[in-house]
Amino acid sequence: MNLGLYIHIPFCSQKCFYCDFPSYSGLDYLYSDYIAALSREISDRGGLLSDYTVDTVFIGGGTPTILPAGLLENLMENLQKNFNISSNAEISIEANPGTVEESKLKLLRSAGVNRISFGVQSFSNDLLKAIGRIHTAEDAIQSVNLAHRCGFNNINIDLMYGLPNQSLEHLKSSLLKAYDLEIQHLSVYGLKIEEGTLFADSSEKGLLKLPEDSLEDQMYEFVIKENIRHGYDRYEISNFAKCGYECQHNLKYWNFEPYVGLGSAAHSFINNTRQANIRDVRQYIYSLESGEFPLESEERLDDNTAIEEFAFLSLRTVKGLSLEKFSAKFNLDFFEIYKNIINRLEKKRVILIEEGYVRLTPLGMKYGNQVFSEFLR
Amino acid sequence: MTTKNIRNFSIIAHIDHGKSTLADRLIEYTGALSAREMEAQVLDQMDLERERGITIKAQAVRLEYKAKDGEKYMINLIDTPGHVDFTYEVSRSLAACEGALLVVDAAQGIEAQTLANVYLALENNLEIIPVINKIDLPSADPEKVKHEIEEVIGLDTSDAVLASAKAGIGIQDILEAIVRKVPHPAGSVEEPLSALIFDSHFDAYKGVIAYVRVMNGKIKPGMKLKMIATDKKFEVTEVGIFKPYPANIDELGTGQVGFVSGSIKNVKDVRVGDTITDAEKPVSTPLPGYRKITPMVYCGLYPVDSSEYENLKDALEKLQLNDASLIFEPETSIALGFGFRCGFLGLLHMDVVQERLEREYNIALITTAPSVIYKVYKTDGSTLDIDNPSKLPTPQEIDHIDEPYVKATVIVPNDFVGAVMELSQEKRGEFKDMKYLDTTRVMLTYNLPLSEIIYDYFDRLKSSTRGYASLDYELIGYHTSNLVKLDILLNGEPVDALSVIVHRDKAAYRGRQLAEKLKGIIPKQMFEIPIQAAIGNKVIARETVRAMRKDVLAKCYGGDISRKRKLLEKQKEGKKRMKQVGNVEIPQEAFMAILKID
Repeated sequence: MNLGLYIHIPFCSQKCFYCDFPSYSGLDYLYSDYIAALSREISDRGGLLSDYTVDTVFIGGGTPTILPAGLLENLMENLQKNFNISSNAEISIEANPGTVEESKLKLLRSAGVNRISFGVQSFSNDLLKAIGRIHTAEDAIQSVNLAHRCGFNNINIDLMYGLPNQSLEHLKSSLLKAYDLEIQHLSVYGLKIEEGTLFADSSEKGLLKLPEDSLEDQMYEFVIKENIRHGYDRYEISNFAKCGYECQHNLKYWNFEPYVGLGSAAHSFINNTRQANIRDVRQYIYSLESGEFPLESEERLDDNTAIEEFAFLSLRTVKGLSLEKFSAKFNLDFFEIYKNIINRLEKKRVILIEEGYVRLTPLGMKYGNQVFSEFLR
Repeated sequence: MTTKNIRNFSIIAHIDHGKSTLADRLIEYTGALSAREMEAQVLDQMDLERERGITIKAQAVRLEYKAKDGEKYMINLIDTPGHVDFTYEVSRSLAACEGALLVVDAAQGIEAQTLANVYLALENNLEIIPVINKIDLPSADPEKVKHEIEEVIGLDTSDAVLASAKAGIGIQDILEAIVRKVPHPAGSVEEPLSALIFDSHFDAYKGVIAYVRVMNGKIKPGMKLKMIATDKKFEVTEVGIFKPYPANIDELGTGQVGFVSGSIKNVKDVRVGDTITDAEKPVSTPLPGYRKITPMVYCGLYPVDSSEYENLKDALEKLQLNDASLIFEPETSIALGFGFRCGFLGLLHMDVVQERLEREYNIALITTAPSVIYKVYKTDGSTLDIDNPSKLPTPQEIDHIDEPYVKATVIVPNDFVGAVMELSQEKRGEFKDMKYLDTTRVMLTYNLPLSEIIYDYFDRLKSSTRGYASLDYELIGYHTSNLVKLDILLNGEPVDALSVIVHRDKAAYRGRQLAEKLKGIIPKQMFEIPIQAAIGNKVIARETVRAMRKDVLAKCYGGDISRKRKLLEKQKEGKKRMKQVGNVEIPQEAFMAILKID
């Protein structure tokens, strides 16, 4: 059986103003303790998952590449030692421009990492500064080129739209610069003001000049159109790739396939159970040092919940929900369960049924949450 | 105990003038309940009533009081509902008494509702004892209030009791006044039984319990009784009194007040105002004043979730067990599906029923705007009673339409007379009378269409008089009016449940207002929604609800699905109270929007 592995590195050199991910700056002193704890978790869980073949690994964060080369090497060795990682597995790492030097990239590449994802967000230095990024547009270009040179031929960059003071021109020029870099994958996210972030605070005080709804809608449409025009096919709401370069790891989330998350705040989905690791970094380390399982919560999905999640996750993909896969998995007819809802959503032209798949229309993609929530019962 | 030592009385008071507190004090003082058992306002049974500070179910409590003359008295306090919707019930409760306390707030003076009930009491020949309450308030002006009572009602207030129920002042004086002034019941135990039903309620174990005042004769368990109006017979299993908790007794004698139960299953068989008599030795004539209650206000009740139709039906049936004045019958709406057209005594009654359905039976409801009964005279000579605007025949078929009118009495400080007149005029009111109650307060009388009253007259009256106005009204009959049906179209489709009947002169204005209001209520959706108001085929107003902004969770951080799910669940929760009509999701309150416009 195949399995995805997610490895969480909760460190950043500076917290971005919009970010509510479990990632922290100023914890440099915990790097080695954390990797030691993580190694322990890797070996504990690896032992229990020996029946699985790992076909995707995703080292995310935070900024994994902030770790010293030695610790990264150590981490990779531990993963290889404790899991059956298939030889053609997709192994991704997240990186921030300016945190990668040639030696580190080469080391990662030779340790088996074959996909790198850069958090670029924008190619406008003013905007980058305004959202708390630590790098410049030039750093981003250099880092991507360096990755090319170090042998990475599956590169993603993350871009954002809907940023404070961002214009459609800004976005256009960022996209064009991204296309120039000849990367294989693009993730484009709309900024969302999340609770507890610096931006939430500024927004409450009226200090954020966010684009009007209509401009943000324009940006959204523009991104889709331009990406497709440049050969990046949309395969999920926010993700675009050249043919054959879809992120296999992320697809596991949407395709309801098993994955195990290691590290603080990492999430797992295995044996129909969703688990979350301890979010607090120190407590996570402490728990492993005490020989405990670093679990914070666990939920076994009942049939109903599993069906709902299957529906709203698979509908995120452009391919949609496979009716065949659904009935094989749940032994039920999707139409039987959601007859009225499907009917209604079809009338509203937000879903369509084609060739054994239920999928969102472009309108449905735009209003994904509205559609997804209908599948909760 | 002979009837000589029995006193039956009610309390007449405006909401918030202290009726419930006074009742509590009287119960406490006479020791019917120990202070420990006292739960404030024991007479109000339902939580809902307590929250609203209104008594809906009349009840009777027996107090035992040793008066200053050394004799023991049985004093029955019969509680009355305090709202215009329940005038008939009030009149029957009063008919069970020989006296009434008129409780007036020492700072606020008489209100329209109080006045209406005093007149009811006078019609029933009750001895009225004025009680000036809340005299401990800094703003109390008992002399002014006494003067007002004398001026307006013509009662002698030289013996008025000054009291503060809250502070426990004047409680004994009140009891003494009841003993001295309220006549003892007439009637004779030798006569055949006649007892007045002044309330009833359904008990899951005992069946229907009738609250009665025995006028002549007595009631004992085992007797075979008959209710005259409904011609139902039953055998008495229990008789009892409230002290204030129910207690069984051997018999209910002449002049006494208490409850009777038998195997009566349907509350409809026990009608307020009906006479109970001995089935074997019946009286020939019933007690005066009985009438069948007819609802004045109708609305559609629909479950938000159509699969709850049966639950709604069950719940209505259960409510009806206890509320003979609630009527309902199945109805279908193109927009809302299956539901019920329900008739109520008035708006408060409607509110209470809705709230109970939602709260006690947990059914999310859509309520359509309340309607009165229109009498539609068709060109073919036939007449229709229309209680649902969507059922109105086409204009070609209608010769003319009559609508119910009420006589409305408003009491207001003179500063606000202009405001009340302006409002009443706007509401198609016909000025009838204006009378100064004293130098500062005025009583205005208008004839108004009932439909205007149930729209928003009372709310606007309150707001335009800073809450000082009080209102009472009574039905006076039907008048012909120039009425038309105003339809609302959403996304090009007429929504029958949003249709209203309005006066032609106001149709354009109401249409614009309603469209605008709906624009504010209907949330943005995935596409643009035109809202149109139309009379016949003519669109008189148009608004547009723009499409919502994009709404999709972008990032899927490290496979944290539970968090996404929670967000979606929250979103779903917000939609629960919306009704899908065609492609449009309509929030519950949209169906009441017509009430929210000026």
